[in-house]
Amino acid sequence: MDILMEGKGLRKVYRTGEVEVEVLKGIDFQIYQGEFIVVLGQSGSGKTTFLNIIGGMTKASAGELYYRGQPLHESDERLLTQYRRNEVGFVFQNYNLMPNLTTYENVKLAVEIAQNPLSVTDILREVGLESWADHFPSQLSGGQQQRVAIARAIVKNPELLLCDEPTGALDIQTGIQVLKALQKLNHVYHKTVMIITHNIEIAKMADRVFYLKDGLLDNVLVNEHPVSPEEIAW
Amino acid sequence: MVILRKKAWRDIKENAGVFLACIVVIAIGLLIYTTMSIVFENTYKAQQNFYSETHFADGFIKVTGYPENKVNSLTLLSGVDQVEGRIVKDVRLIDQQKDSNRYLRMITMNLTNPAKLNQLRLITGHYPENNQSEILVDPQFLTANHLSLGDTLKVVIDGQQAAFNITGTAQSSEFVYIMRNSQDLYPSATDFGIAYVPLGSLKDLVKEKGQFNDLVFTLKAGASFDTVKDSLETELKSYGLQSIVPRKDQISNAILTSKLDGLKSMATTLPIVFLGVASFILYTMLRRLIEQQRVSIGTLKAFGFTNREIVGHYLTYPLVIGTAGGLLGSLSGIALSFPLTNLYKQYFALPGLKSEFSVKYLVISLVLALFFSVISGLRGSLDILRLEPAQAMRPPAPMTARKTWIERITWFWKSLSSQAQMGIRDLFRTPMRSLFNVLGIAVVFSLMTVSWSMQNMINLLTVVQLEQVQTYDVKLQLAQPSSTSEVKLDLAHEVGVSKVEPVLEAPATLKNGWLSKEVALMGLEKGATLYNILDKSGNHVEIPEHGILLSERLATALNVKVGDEIYVESLMRQEPLGEKGESLMVQGVVPQYVGLNAFMEEKELQRFLRQGDISTSMLVKMNPAEVGLMKSKYLNASNVASITALKDEDEKIRKMMDSYGFTTWLLAILGGITGFALIYNTSIISLSERKRELASLRVLGMTPREVLRVITSEQWALFAFGILLGIPLAYGLGISMAQAMSTDIFSLPAALPPVALLGAAAGTAFSVLVAQSRAYYKIKSLPYVEILATKD
Repeated sequence: MDILMEGKGLRKVYRTGEVEVEVLKGIDFQIYQGEFIVVLGQSGSGKTTFLNIIGGMTKASAGELYYRGQPLHESDERLLTQYRRNEVGFVFQNYNLMPNLTTYENVKLAVEIAQNPLSVTDILREVGLESWADHFPSQLSGGQQQRVAIARAIVKNPELLLCDEPTGALDIQTGIQVLKALQKLNHVYHKTVMIITHNIEIAKMADRVFYLKDGLLDNVLVNEHPVSPEEIAW
Repeated sequence: MVILRKKAWRDIKENAGVFLACIVVIAIGLLIYTTMSIVFENTYKAQQNFYSETHFADGFIKVTGYPENKVNSLTLLSGVDQVEGRIVKDVRLIDQQKDSNRYLRMITMNLTNPAKLNQLRLITGHYPENNQSEILVDPQFLTANHLSLGDTLKVVIDGQQAAFNITGTAQSSEFVYIMRNSQDLYPSATDFGIAYVPLGSLKDLVKEKGQFNDLVFTLKAGASFDTVKDSLETELKSYGLQSIVPRKDQISNAILTSKLDGLKSMATTLPIVFLGVASFILYTMLRRLIEQQRVSIGTLKAFGFTNREIVGHYLTYPLVIGTAGGLLGSLSGIALSFPLTNLYKQYFALPGLKSEFSVKYLVISLVLALFFSVISGLRGSLDILRLEPAQAMRPPAPMTARKTWIERITWFWKSLSSQAQMGIRDLFRTPMRSLFNVLGIAVVFSLMTVSWSMQNMINLLTVVQLEQVQTYDVKLQLAQPSSTSEVKLDLAHEVGVSKVEPVLEAPATLKNGWLSKEVALMGLEKGATLYNILDKSGNHVEIPEHGILLSERLATALNVKVGDEIYVESLMRQEPLGEKGESLMVQGVVPQYVGLNAFMEEKELQRFLRQGDISTSMLVKMNPAEVGLMKSKYLNASNVASITALKDEDEKIRKMMDSYGFTTWLLAILGGITGFALIYNTSIISLSERKRELASLRVLGMTPREVLRVITSEQWALFAFGILLGIPLAYGLGISMAQAMSTDIFSLPAALPPVALLGAAAGTAFSVLVAQSRAYYKIKSLPYVEILATKD
């Protein structure tokens, strides 16, 4: 498999006033094209920061980061924006939907800047929300809002889909539905998917599992037999 | 970006009240700018065109009599381009029915050798025939006296009665604002008009045989008026020279120019105040909107929207506000310019004065509105847009948790309810924003105060002038300076007369270095009581035996103070060559609300003029019931130019002051609307930022009224600070506006009565209450469950 993304010695330090917090302390990793990766770790281990750096949402304080061989760590804001626009889909822990746009419009928002988007209607059907297209986020449950967020990320047809706790607020059935959509994106459309989760069971779906601990990549395990979402015990 | 546009429109709809407030304030600023600018431009253009078309003179001369055949020789003087002579006579109309005096200023026209200067513009009818008893009159006089072409007017000229047929109406650049003299306060078309008569028709009726008593002239390019004036004085002195006045001091031109200056000043200064307030409202509103949408902005960035696309989206709001405010303000300003121009047409006889739809000001207003709006919008949005997506999606770092200074006043702090503490603490934690809000309220409060007090200033002017300064019943203006003792004796014996005081008025030029001013020197007898000079406290000021007293406006214009010396010249002074004038010491500076005079003791002025014991008018205190009798007796007297009762002056002053009513009321209303918009905006922003806190209080079990106290405590605190700051601001603004509206005819006293301050405070408080009632309604309908359930 081709290397999609590679990081060397990635560090991230946050400064607020006189206080400095080193969240990532030097991470080396590789992500291969078409992989399904789950990132596990306790609260404060640096998972979200790691995801943000990979997604071009923030820059590392030190280290190197390459996407398809291009150095992202040297990119300016304009190039990072292009990277996020064309290559990355993001699913946030708090959904981050636009409150005054309908379900359909929230997904369509992403289509307007995508180079090669998928069909909004098809994606909404994929996540089971085709009959909620005209509803506003305040009229949806937490789970439904999360599915809209996922649809919005997927519709861009990104190479790399990054998900921060996508099933955190969902019931079993909905969670399975979401994971199936992500797995389909990975298996059928060969998109690379990375999920942050506390739910260790989800790791069974992964091709590889990254274990983060205290800002370091503690372990990387290969899962020889990834299972389908229905087989996961919640 | 179709979806982003939908988002923008929905954001606008959700915040419709605040957007509307911004639009209204911008519109108000631009309404004032557009209206005043258009009226200024219309009037200025009409003035310049009229002056140019009619070859308005550069200088105006009054002499006792200058030979007709010598007029052209004056062009040989260096700097003089063209000269024309006329006979000018103020004549009284013979009117059996009315007891008020009607006068015409008759000015001769040379029909055989048509005028090159101060040409007439024929409005209706036709020119009179030479040697015929026919005249043209000004259109306002015709209309005000219900006259028609073909009517006959009977007049008394130099003691003889004569009748003239009206053949038409005409206007002259010399009489755009028709006033009899500089002491006259207000044009009264019923009582005074201008008539143009063929020279041949008037020659035989007047005592000036083969002479002119009035000359007008133009300067050669580059010539200095003062240098030319000196040459003319030398030449004309022996012909009874009375005055040489430059165009800038010619009454009609001076008043029109002063009005134009006032318009221009208002057009530039006032809009800045309103646009400044609008910019502040817009900036705080947009900043609040962007801070609230911080996570959305981060999400858009995460998805790959560029900064330009995001800025473009957030600039939609100020663009919408700027466009709507600009269009509303400019269109309503253009509309308002029509009636305002018509109002000016009532006072200024400018033939070309008209209002038109102005594309120029529509465009300028739009550009101004967009400029202010976009700058505010950009300023409000740049900080967050600079953040990385991950940073933008994180909530901002919490504000300092230190105690603010007001919390350290323990006894006060503990007396407040929890809600009040919440409201007031935030006020002190965001000092810059609070300061801007306080400043906004202070500006609006001061605008309302000054507008309220304008009427008081006007009343004060009227009362002081008519009840304390001018205490005579009748003023007799003599046709020429006459022996004081003789005239006084004659009048003292009239029925009902209890007191007679002489007045000597002489045209003079006062100089201090390069500063000079043409004024009327007023000589009052020692111990005079029928014309009183008062100090700022209303106490009587005794005229000094020597030296001169100046009015405040005059002292300011000449940059002199008590103890300084000024150089005084007067053409009425009979002086040997080389002693044109004299240095006199300024003994005092006194407020003068009506007129622009310098005062001297009569004997001192007589000494200065070297013409002996003369007076030019008499002030009479008498039984009001006998005034009519006095008038009818002296109207025909050859030595009486006019006789006016004080009650006529009263009417004129009040009419003049009424003309300012429109402006003051407009300012008060606009100030009130702006104040409300500012306060409403503050209230809504406060409510919006505190949605979660207020929702939590509702869930805890507080009633909407109890929850409202969080908002009301903040607002009343802002109100209190705003009023405190507004009071000195109001005094400053009052002084500035009184000065801006004052002219050489009247000076407004800058007085802010307590009732104006109270009225403005009540108006501002009313705005606060209305904004709070809206906030109450919003709190009552707050979907607190939904708010608390939704993540930020």
